[in-house]
Amino acid sequence: MECRHAPEVNGGVDRNLTVCKHYSLCKEKKETKDNVEAKEVSKVETAYSSILSELGEDVDREGLLRTPLRAAKAMQFLTKGYKETTQDVLNDAIFDENHEEIVIVKDIELFSLCEHHLVPFFGKAHIAYLPNKKVVGLSKLARIVEIYSRRLQVQERLTKQIASAISEALEPAGVAVVIEAAHMCMVMRGVQKINASTVTSVMLGKFHDDPTTRKEFLNLTMRK
Amino acid sequence: MEHSEPTEQADGGSALNGHFDRTGKRPVPGGSGCASAAASAGAPQPPRAEPGAPRPVMESWREERTRSVEDNQTSLPSLAAAYTTILRGLGEDPQRQGLLKTPWRAATAMQFFTKGYQEKIIDVLNDAIFDEDHDEMVIVKDIDMFSMCEHHLVPIFGRVHIGYLPNKRVLGLSKLARIVEIYSRRLQGTPSGRRSKVSAPCHLCPTRLRLRVRASTVQERLTKQIAVAITEALKPTGVGVVIEATHMCMVMRGVQKMNSKTVTSTMLGVFREDPKTRDEFLALIRS
Repeated sequence: MECRHAPEVNGGVDRNLTVCKHYSLCKEKKETKDNVEAKEVSKVETAYSSILSELGEDVDREGLLRTPLRAAKAMQFLTKGYKETTQDVLNDAIFDENHEEIVIVKDIELFSLCEHHLVPFFGKAHIAYLPNKKVVGLSKLARIVEIYSRRLQVQERLTKQIASAISEALEPAGVAVVIEAAHMCMVMRGVQKINASTVTSVMLGKFHDDPTTRKEFLNLTMRK
Repeated sequence: MEHSEPTEQADGGSALNGHFDRTGKRPVPGGSGCASAAASAGAPQPPRAEPGAPRPVMESWREERTRSVEDNQTSLPSLAAAYTTILRGLGEDPQRQGLLKTPWRAATAMQFFTKGYQEKIIDVLNDAIFDEDHDEMVIVKDIDMFSMCEHHLVPIFGRVHIGYLPNKRVLGLSKLARIVEIYSRRLQGTPSGRRSKVSAPCHLCPTRLRLRVRASTVQERLTKQIAVAITEALKPTGVGVVIEATHMCMVMRGVQKMNSKTVTSTMLGVFREDPKTRDEFLALIRS
């Protein structure tokens, strides 16, 4: 397994971290990436097998025979954001453009996993920024959302991470991110409130300082 | 989804979803009249399914529980340990603050999502069947349903619409929703892929033949289970169940089709035989 020496892999702002900085000094044996991944999948697969039998299911029945492997791979996919960085994804798609008006990409579908219950939450993200001589390819905003949402997350932190990543990459005059999502941990279990949705927002720069700019963003984004 | 070659068997082979004690407590559904949904013509069910041995395809409403509340407590530590392994395997740090108690929370959540294994239909229904001289359609629609896909362990959610034509007996309305809960709070999935038999009580089927249907996928199976449970409990003139659901395994991963919905239906008795009744049911649930 790769070393992760950052205090919290997911806890902080993006540190462009994929590989342990101390890799060459680590006592961990160097293994190929595939081997490492295969081992991880295999451990997760064994864990799922044990979960199924503890839940009272018959792991030998046909429908469940390959479920541990499928579930392990599904979980890996749903947490693939750990292995991606903003730098990889931006792909040098930052362009010099003399545009200083608000740019909004809204209704970006978002799927993440609640880190408290390992149950999905999903919804939409709305992102806006005020360029400061630099604009970014529009799909890259959605890709940034993907990186951070495909992790074990808390919605507040997810919103902040997206905003910070855009802020660091583009250095714009302002960034605003709003996420509205339904949390299955609240819908399928616990309080069981079907229609509740959670809205979080982060406003940086001019969106934070200037109420008019903020209002313009909210009007353009949140109207039904 | 794998489907093995269909082979005709005396009673079709199919796995129950929910089997805690492998050495043991296979439910033997009580016979009811001419055809209980599961019993093979009088032969006692073997406790453990061997290949080729007759196995119940649908749980009868008299089935036993396969898990108890005490089992939940005893299996919690190993479930939590398994979740800790999963967290590490995904590259996370189980010791960080946000994840410290996650294995326990996830384990309890998973037990909740599969609590259908702890419940018996008969407990839920026993006292709420009333004699009533009503023979018009009764519909309960838009019942929210949450289940788990047994292939990826990822949620499925949607709505269930149930209609039935009483035959002198009606059911407390919330009990329909409770039946949905019992069957949906399980890992729903594919039985053996061989031709499975749903045996409807005789009076529903004019020619007194057993219905042979292929009970195949996750949602289809759930739909049938609900329909059969109501049929056995009430012996109505007909039952119709429609489920429309979103499968997160298709939305969050794999093909990633956001807006896709899967719709399945089961029509038994007069809902199956009479197109007008079926049309009335479908029109009413759409409105």
